[in-house]
Amino acid sequence: MEKLLAVYVDHIDVWLPEMLFFSITTLEIAIVSFVLAVAIGLVLVMLRVSKISPLVTLAILIIEVARGLPIVVLLYIVYFVPPQLVSGWNWSWYNAFVGAVLGLGIHGGAILAEVFRAGIEALHKGQREAALSLGMTPAKSMRYILVPQAARIVLPPVANYGIGLLKETSLCSLIGVNELMNDAKSIAFADYEPMAVFLLAAAIYFAMSYPLALILRHVEKRLNFSR
Amino acid sequence: MSFLQILDQQGWYFLVTLLSGWPATISVAIPSFFFALIFGLVLALLRMARSRLSRGFAIAYIEFFRGTPALVQLFVIYFGLPDLGYSPSPFQAAVIGLGMNGAAYLAEIYRAGIESIHQGQKEAAFALGMTPTRAMRYIVLPQAIRVMTPALTNFAIVLLKDTSIIFAVGVVEVMALARNLVTETLQSGVVYLMAGALYLCVTIPMSHLAARLERNRRAWQ
Repeated sequence: MEKLLAVYVDHIDVWLPEMLFFSITTLEIAIVSFVLAVAIGLVLVMLRVSKISPLVTLAILIIEVARGLPIVVLLYIVYFVPPQLVSGWNWSWYNAFVGAVLGLGIHGGAILAEVFRAGIEALHKGQREAALSLGMTPAKSMRYILVPQAARIVLPPVANYGIGLLKETSLCSLIGVNELMNDAKSIAFADYEPMAVFLLAAAIYFAMSYPLALILRHVEKRLNFSR
Repeated sequence: MSFLQILDQQGWYFLVTLLSGWPATISVAIPSFFFALIFGLVLALLRMARSRLSRGFAIAYIEFFRGTPALVQLFVIYFGLPDLGYSPSPFQAAVIGLGMNGAAYLAEIYRAGIESIHQGQKEAAFALGMTPTRAMRYIVLPQAIRVMTPALTNFAIVLLKDTSIIFAVGVVEVMALARNLVTETLQSGVVYLMAGALYLCVTIPMSHLAARLERNRRAWQ
């Protein structure tokens, strides 16, 4: 324990700024893939609840596959497979960051599509019928009646997913994105202090995700309270 | 060479190689599952205990392990523990890491399960002269575990999927072999798709089983 403290006293002034710098990449991945996941999730849920059966089947297929694959495997597939599948194109823009964001976005989209669907299904059918009988188009009933009500059911799991996503970005180090985890690895093996460095990395991840989790719990309590 | 040609020429070799990684995957997944099952119960009981010290410990443990990535935890165990004089093998590190990580998630599942059992069950057990331990062991837990079955199945799926990161600490399982194959043949397209398909063959039936258990549970309650 004392040894560990001594190590930190010696190195923290170099390690911490560098790791915090690479945490920015971690946050970037998390934010971009979160936005992408919400977009993909919305598209998938639209297909899933549409009445057109080939689209429904397509949506179910994508959701089942993306949820059934381990994230690492999905990242490897998304990053390494397309350039080989379509070898005629210019793939120079397709770097690890893009692959990571796409992979996490697709995985998250599948998870969020199910969350969104639960939100839509939790609504009473009469809501939609009432909206339609008032002369709203299906799109309008969605926009003004269904979505605002579903948002309340959907927001807590979406936020939960976002917090989980922060931790999942660590997997992007495995396909070679230079984020917090990858930086921790290179420092750990350069300075021969794996225990101290990885614990520091864990602390940084914790400092990023835990406050968000606390805020979410607080908000969730208030949401339930007003019911 | 086209995709199908590669599949035709080397597909069988890829498939056999990837399949040979499954014993390693399973032999990490099963011990970690039971480790998490037991340790998670201990954590849940500590979390619900009267003593403030044990509750504090359980909360700190659960929050820390749920608040940090499993990959970091694995690295602390595999690369960090040798600093303290214990050098786990890749297999040991994977089981300890996934088990300790899973226990934190399972503790919350246990707690939800135990709290879902009606208070009267416990009171009735006390009224019959059972000690708190016996009431937990014979009355509350058996019912809680029945409620928890779908959640436990989901946990098993998550755990199985999490084993795909243990190649990072040197366990030679499916993903490690897939990476080796790619280094050897440069056919990343076919190899990773095939590895993915193998995972799906296990996870999709399991998740349908979990959904069915959940429906049964709803019908039973």
